[in-house]
Amino acid sequence: MSANTPAEAAPGPSSNEPNPRGSETRGSIPVVDGAKLVRERRLNNAKKNWALFRSDVPALIGAVVLLFFIVIAIAAPLIAPASMLDVTKQLDVPRYAPPSLDHPLGTDDLGRELWVRILWGARVSILVGVAATVMSMIIGTIMGLAAGHFTGLFGGIIMRIVDFFIVLPSLLLAIVLSSVLERGVFTIVVAIGLTSWASTARIVRSQTLSVESRLYIERARILGAGHSHILFRHLLPAVMPLVLANTTLTVGGAIIAESTLSFLGLGDTSKESWGTILKNSMDVSAATSGYWWYVLTPGVAILLVVLAFTMVGRAFEAIINPALRSR
Amino acid sequence: MTDLHFENVSITYRSSSDRGDVVAVEDVSLDLPAGATLGIAGESGSGKSTLIMSALRLLPKSARLDGRVLLGGQDIRELSFGQIRAVRWAQASIVFQGALHSLNPVREVGQQIIEALEHHSKGTWTTPQKRRDRMFELLAEVNLEASKSSAYPHELSGGQKQRIMIAMALACEPDIIIADEPTTALDVIVQKQILSGLARLVAERGISLLMISHDLAVLSAVCAKLAIMRHGRLVEYGPSDEVCLSPQEDYTKQLAGAFPQIGDPESRLNPRTLKPAEVVRAEPFTMTDEVVLEAKDLSVSFDTRRGRERAVRGVDLQLRKAEILAVVGQSGSGKTTLARSLLGLQEVEAGSQLSFAGKALPKKAKELRAFRQKVQMILQDPAGSLNPKRSVYEAVVEGLKVQGIKDREYERVIGALEAAELTPAEDYLESIPQELSGGQRQRVVIAGALALDPQVLIADEPVASLDASVRGEILSLFLALKKNFGMSALIITHDLGLAWNIADTVAVMKRGEIVEYGEVDRVLSDPQHEYTQELLAAVPRLGSQSLVRNE
Repeated sequence: MSANTPAEAAPGPSSNEPNPRGSETRGSIPVVDGAKLVRERRLNNAKKNWALFRSDVPALIGAVVLLFFIVIAIAAPLIAPASMLDVTKQLDVPRYAPPSLDHPLGTDDLGRELWVRILWGARVSILVGVAATVMSMIIGTIMGLAAGHFTGLFGGIIMRIVDFFIVLPSLLLAIVLSSVLERGVFTIVVAIGLTSWASTARIVRSQTLSVESRLYIERARILGAGHSHILFRHLLPAVMPLVLANTTLTVGGAIIAESTLSFLGLGDTSKESWGTILKNSMDVSAATSGYWWYVLTPGVAILLVVLAFTMVGRAFEAIINPALRSR
Repeated sequence: MTDLHFENVSITYRSSSDRGDVVAVEDVSLDLPAGATLGIAGESGSGKSTLIMSALRLLPKSARLDGRVLLGGQDIRELSFGQIRAVRWAQASIVFQGALHSLNPVREVGQQIIEALEHHSKGTWTTPQKRRDRMFELLAEVNLEASKSSAYPHELSGGQKQRIMIAMALACEPDIIIADEPTTALDVIVQKQILSGLARLVAERGISLLMISHDLAVLSAVCAKLAIMRHGRLVEYGPSDEVCLSPQEDYTKQLAGAFPQIGDPESRLNPRTLKPAEVVRAEPFTMTDEVVLEAKDLSVSFDTRRGRERAVRGVDLQLRKAEILAVVGQSGSGKTTLARSLLGLQEVEAGSQLSFAGKALPKKAKELRAFRQKVQMILQDPAGSLNPKRSVYEAVVEGLKVQGIKDREYERVIGALEAAELTPAEDYLESIPQELSGGQRQRVVIAGALALDPQVLIADEPVASLDASVRGEILSLFLALKKNFGMSALIITHDLGLAWNIADTVAVMKRGEIVEYGEVDRVLSDPQHEYTQELLAAVPRLGSQSLVRNE
């Protein structure tokens, strides 16, 4: 064996105590809080991962873009008061004004500034995207862990439920849900969250199965561990990084789903969202009438946010899985 | 006929990591004349695999080769890609380490043998029919039935897969066969079959054999000459007899000594190691009559594709306080299943009786948890038994957390690590498993079990994946645990030498049954059952070409 490791280079056991295991007899051990050591090591790991993230240029660009959209979404009422969306107060503004210095992103069919609509739309679009993703991740992780950990009838039933949601056309289900339930942002969140968790559950289940077969799970059982210890101490930490990376990648999908539903007129029509803007532009045939800014602006906003989430998500993935880094 | 020469070969891996360039092989000169046999022995990291990969230019791009490797008088570095392809397999072929992973799981093994023939038809095996005939010829040569050609790898046993690998290596009638640990992970009986098969091929067909292994006894059983490598350098090189029986260098002595000679009184209850575990009690514990763990008429069955199979049949075992019991058998003999059922991890058939300290094994979750505090198990592979993301401290403390032991947590962890002789324990608390060597990981696993203060330790092949020098250290640790704390241990192994080294009693298992059970001295010196005799005969012994001469 390599002689440069401290233990094996040492001439022999250095303890002179007569009975190393009977710790009652040894007063020399300083009182150290073991849990603190563990916390410090985790903090160090987090720092290392942060350094890795910072060295990833696309991820940084993505993070900056995201931060920008989140800030403008939060600060929307300060930058552009809600009155700027009130059609009755825009009578003196030209309709369908192309982008210019006075109207940076142009105006719509009712004379509203598109940049104001994008600003306010960001609130709903990002909120729905994130909330629906969180919901789908929570359901997906719980179902995936359960399906992977419990074998037999219980695991089988859970997996059939997952299969059912996978084969269900998710857009169709979302449309049904949002037309049956009361209209509103919350309904959209539920509709998207309920339809998109199944693929997460599949990923989590396969990872759970692979971790489940590792010897250290068997070792935990030998030590006397029950289901809760194995689930929360070994399996959940093992699948968490995967879930996190998956989250950022799913947010993009959820934002697109929200836009789709709004575009189909199933969203909350009283609230601005990027999908609603797209729907309005469609209603007035903006694309064929030459009002390109009306279509392009919300489209580009969606593209930018989804792309930013994806770039950040890929960086997370690379941190979890070093094998991806060189690709 | 082709010969192979290594002339002052040095191989460096360029690395951009903090470690900088890594010298894997340094100034090694060896030669393998046509028809000769050469064994290279060394521990993991000694550079032996790197060296032989250079013979067929199979090293990764980051490796730099200095010196010359001559194959049939030609420097392999000067060959074009086409030439090197022709050389690979046709002149020299490799039996890779771990046959279990080198075969394509979704193709029939016969097809995989034919694949090599397709690439090197050599004007001989030009038609599919000829290639098929050749494939059957090869299967016969490695003692496999022709029907096995349509089997998939998962349908074959480890030894059969290894023979398929050898058949593939032989396919194009190479002059040189390079075998990289061909028998690791196989049990002694299968190992003997593989080794004598190789030896026969060498003798009959004049093939040269270059074999590497960490096991000196395996090499000396087949090879006429031996080279010992350490840290990339050649330590000793000479005829097999001399190297094994009268080694000059200290390192060779240590390697040769690590393998117990069954029947040699010096190594009885005394595993040889440079760093023995300390026995601190003035009067060490010895085996008593107090029965701790007992199994009566224990049977376990599994449902398989072919119906119900009984893995363990009517086993009676007794483990007494401060006794080390070795359960020996081939792979598939039901040893691990037996151990798992003793811990209550495996459901047993009705009628089986298991008891701990006179009481029947509990069934309820809570009682089982309390029981497992007293009986601990160490799994086969120390690398896999540790969660790669958790530090040594977390690994050792896990049992305490699970069992709800809260007081003096830190002291218990340090105490357990010191009892497992991982000292100074404080230095290791923050390490994660990948920063530790195999032996150190095994100590952490043992410490994790010791932290619970168990009365019985069950260990499944505790040293099978460790290097020879670490093997002695871990075995002496088991012996010290028994002597210092009166701990009982049940050790599962395929290695009879291990039983000779540390066990008080031995149970020989064959197909789920115990065929011989008794004190080590009696069973191993005077085996009654023919299976025990067969096992003993299959253990390779130091000394030149024992297997070849016995054939």
